[in-house]
Amino acid sequence: MEKRYLWIGLGVVAIVAILVVALSGGDDDETTETTVASGETTEAPSETTEAPSETTEAPSDTTEAPAEAFRVAVIAPSAQNDLAFTQSMVDAVNVVSGSVDMEIAITDGTFIVEDAASAIRDYADQGYDLVIAHGSQYGGSLVEIAPDFPDVSFAWGTAADTFGLPNVYAYEAASDEGGYVMGVLAAALSESDTVGVVGPVEVGDAKLYVDGFAAGVLGENPGADVKIVYTGSFSDVALASETAQAHATAGADVLTGSAQMVVGAVGVAAENGILWFGTQANQAQLAPEIVVASQVYHWEVVISQIVAQVQAGTLGGEVFVIDLANGGEVIEYNPGYEVPADVVAKADATIAGIIDGSISTGS
Amino acid sequence: MSDFFTEAVLIATVAGGIRLAVPLLFASLGEMFGQRSGVLNLGVDGVMLLGAFGGYYAVLKTDNVWLGLLVGVAIGVVFGLITAVMSVTLKAEQGISGIGIYLFGLGFSDLLFQKWVGTPLPIKAFPKINIPVLSDIPIIGEMLFRHSAVVYIAFAAVPLSMFIINRTNFGMKIRAVGENPEAADSLGVSVTKVRYATLIIGGLLAGVAGAALAIDLKIFQQNLTNAAGFIAIALVYFGAWRPLGVMGGALLYGFVNSIVLQLKTLGIIPRSWSDIAAMAPAIVTILALVIVAQRFKPPAALTKPFERGR
Amino acid sequence: MLEMRGITKRFPGVLASDNVDFDVFPGEVHTLLGENGAGKSTLMKILYGLYEADEGEVRLHGEPLSIKNPTDAITHGIGMIHQHFMLVPPLTVAENVALGLKSSRGVLTDLDAVSERIVELGETYGLHVDPSAPIWQMAVGEQQRVEIIKALYREAKLLILDEPTAVLTPQEVDQLFVTLRQLKDDGCGLIFISHKLHEVLALSTRITVLRHGKVTGSVPVEGATRESLAQMMVGRAVKLAPDKTEAKPGNVALKIRGLRVARDRGGDGVRDLDLDVHAGEILGVAGVSGNGQMLLAEAIAGLRAPSAGSIEIAGTEVVGMTPKQVRTTGLAYVPEKRMKDGAIGDFTVSENILLIDHNDEHYLNHGLFDFGAIKKHSRQLVDEYTVKTPTLDTPARNLSGGNIQKMIIARELSGTPEVLVAAQPTRGVDIGAAEYIHTRLIKQRDEDTAILMISEDLDEVFGVSDRVAVMYEGQVMGIVDPRTATREEVGLMMAGVEQDETA
Repeated sequence: MEKRYLWIGLGVVAIVAILVVALSGGDDDETTETTVASGETTEAPSETTEAPSETTEAPSDTTEAPAEAFRVAVIAPSAQNDLAFTQSMVDAVNVVSGSVDMEIAITDGTFIVEDAASAIRDYADQGYDLVIAHGSQYGGSLVEIAPDFPDVSFAWGTAADTFGLPNVYAYEAASDEGGYVMGVLAAALSESDTVGVVGPVEVGDAKLYVDGFAAGVLGENPGADVKIVYTGSFSDVALASETAQAHATAGADVLTGSAQMVVGAVGVAAENGILWFGTQANQAQLAPEIVVASQVYHWEVVISQIVAQVQAGTLGGEVFVIDLANGGEVIEYNPGYEVPADVVAKADATIAGIIDGSISTGS
Repeated sequence: MSDFFTEAVLIATVAGGIRLAVPLLFASLGEMFGQRSGVLNLGVDGVMLLGAFGGYYAVLKTDNVWLGLLVGVAIGVVFGLITAVMSVTLKAEQGISGIGIYLFGLGFSDLLFQKWVGTPLPIKAFPKINIPVLSDIPIIGEMLFRHSAVVYIAFAAVPLSMFIINRTNFGMKIRAVGENPEAADSLGVSVTKVRYATLIIGGLLAGVAGAALAIDLKIFQQNLTNAAGFIAIALVYFGAWRPLGVMGGALLYGFVNSIVLQLKTLGIIPRSWSDIAAMAPAIVTILALVIVAQRFKPPAALTKPFERGR
Repeated sequence: MLEMRGITKRFPGVLASDNVDFDVFPGEVHTLLGENGAGKSTLMKILYGLYEADEGEVRLHGEPLSIKNPTDAITHGIGMIHQHFMLVPPLTVAENVALGLKSSRGVLTDLDAVSERIVELGETYGLHVDPSAPIWQMAVGEQQRVEIIKALYREAKLLILDEPTAVLTPQEVDQLFVTLRQLKDDGCGLIFISHKLHEVLALSTRITVLRHGKVTGSVPVEGATRESLAQMMVGRAVKLAPDKTEAKPGNVALKIRGLRVARDRGGDGVRDLDLDVHAGEILGVAGVSGNGQMLLAEAIAGLRAPSAGSIEIAGTEVVGMTPKQVRTTGLAYVPEKRMKDGAIGDFTVSENILLIDHNDEHYLNHGLFDFGAIKKHSRQLVDEYTVKTPTLDTPARNLSGGNIQKMIIARELSGTPEVLVAAQPTRGVDIGAAEYIHTRLIKQRDEDTAILMISEDLDEVFGVSDRVAVMYEGQVMGIVDPRTATREEVGLMMAGVEQDETA
């Protein structure tokens, strides 16, 4: 009797294993292959039979690639199509690869810092020219790893510190600028004069964006009520959703939010007919009927500069910033939502004002 | 503070707390069955994630939320069975094998999501059901009886679990196997069968918990559960291995979260306190856990594989 | 009704059952007698389907039978009362009885019907229990009744009783025997497992003795004596009652006043206890397990801090001292859990003997161990106390229970202590070693040591002690002279009846 269960169980395990193999081997194009590799790194030890085969594939690919190709690796905490932080960098690297002969490897979903650290070291060890550690939480690992690979260039962000290391670049976004513009838009569109913010933890890029947004709203309408809630988590989708619900109860008719957990909040906004402003990537497809605009990061502005400098032999020591002026930050309107022309004009004037310095975002 | 005690905010707080409690309630009830029979399953969160993706994907493709829930059930049953094979038949160390399932679920749900979906597109949600008559009661009706269908299913599972555990032969066997498997075995109760059954129920409910979460949020994302499965395990201890206690724990956790959120939204908790306040649910749960731990004992055979004639 | 033929069972390194034949007729009590590890339990676990035999066959009512698990055994009318009760403590009596049975209401429980039947059975066989009480609230004797009811409820015709008296007071044993005799008269076959010779003689119709997995004899109870049975168990003549002369008690060496000791789980396990032990006497402490004896021993040895009271050893107050300091006042301690508190299994015999004296300058040479002296001392003790060990460097865990105990006693007595506390000195020890240990205790008494001997074995208490104190719920119920007191009297005191009431 017990043996029968054993066989049923083993059968199920076998089916799952076959499924993994089938999925991993099914596609040939490069991006999906790297996706699989990245998925494997975070996976259970039970899948070890598959994992090594994936990792060994990467180097074998490189030997086939032309020797002069510039090799870039990206290590990022969330999924590469999160419509937010990680995707903004992945998109950027792909854009740069359009003009530079580049070979790209991506390890995403490494929200466990130790996993990221080992991936960073692996890529450096394999002789990648540029290793991008896309997450401010990876700084500590980089300080330890970078000195061991003086010939490899590292970039990390969002941050403003190169640790005084000659082979480390840092990059950050002046997200307060885009935030301010969206704040102006939000204030102009709000009828209840109440806007809500779904924030993760009050640090870094998220804080910068939220502060800019709040300043923008108050700049446009000093009497408006900006309700800012930091949930305390970058990844708790359910809590982000409830926060949006709380804002709705409090009468907010415009919402924004930062970090990958906002997908839950966008859903609630759509349900309640509340307008949404996105940041880090274009979030229009999450809810086409209520997303007004998104602040989109074009890290390629920074990445192409870094790549050029590395190719010229300078491996680090500089901090780059994307902002409205250098085109690294762009306000993308959702074509599915019609913004009144006078409001667009207001936003354009704000952008111009920030670029020429006549408007201060407050930070 | 007076802002908090307005009708609208109170209703939102209670309704929100209930919504947050639902996935935890499903998962903890399931885990409770396993633990009552003596098996600690740490893989709940992994099964929840797989159920969440399965449910999300099914709804994305068919627009049928009930099919989504059913996919969650199916995935849960399969992984309940795998858990049982590992911890009952193969007598694997329960902590380690559970973490294995968790890591697998975490990675595999994301892998499938990247492969098959990619961009997190919103899906259809559960229909809202207003219970006739009851939902018309002022305030209370809005708090309790205007929820989506799964909310009622989750709370109906509580008395059902109580009935199974306390009033059926199967429930008696579960209790016996969890407390003294040797005694149960000596009376011809198959410890193996009982533990397979409870782990499959546990897997099923974990799968449902995940699917319910994804469909309620209308979205899937990597690590969507954000470790809710582990909170669910803690809630089983909190609830002293009883369905009502587990429900109390899930509601407490949901309410503390929702109260803190409302207080933040109203500006009663200042932003500088925000991150500390975010820990409130965990702190309250731990405190309650400490108090409960002194009063109630876990099933005596918890975490111990059974071997006849040992 | 039952025949077992040529049963053989091997465990790694041990032949637990070696070609054993055993049978039972309806209406008889057939006793399996033997020391620990003789193979009694193995044989019964095979019969009950908990182990599978490597060789041999089992026949019931002449039919060959294959019992693969307890369900098979139950279906064939075999019931087993396990030494460690197979009860689920949080469940009620009725639930424990109903467990594993088909309910008359399908998936629902039918506990009210079960309860009715339990009451009926209880009336028939004098097994009174409350069907709705949870097991954990019940006394040990009551729990055993539940075990028997479980078997009778399943209409068992062949009952296996594995050491059923181990945890009972003498009165409870008498009550149990009444029930068992009634079952026998009703035509049930009973298999009684025990190593208590007087009980075996009182209850059995036939006795089969096992030693090292082999049958050494099978005799009717008529004509059997304790001595003849002991000889079959051990393989040589044994003196069951040690020779001893009149005690010559001296001054009080161990003086205990108003002692209170808390249990681990709260509440006082020892309550306002007064006790004197004189030099040159053995005070036996009798009582059912768990009535505070162990707490008392640990408190004296300094292993557990009393909440009140005083303990004086040779005139020195020892409450508040560390165990090591207590030892310097002249205490030797033979603990109940010998492998946990008395010896270190992975240490060699020689190292175990040195455990206490390792700072003694006799064994140190400029701060380092003088291995020559240690070896000489160990060899001398091992020889003197007849500890059977292959070498002095053999790890203690490889020794038999009896030899480990002799090793511990050798170590403890080597310093000629003022006071010796010996807890369960012969539990689980073979008869030969027990005999030796008893002789040794008496010899130590004659050398003027005050000995406090805690024991649950009344034979031992009566045979070795000069005075007997009976403990019940942390208090001394009374002190009696073993030469004049009866088992009845002591048994009543063990059950909580004060000495005055028994007189």
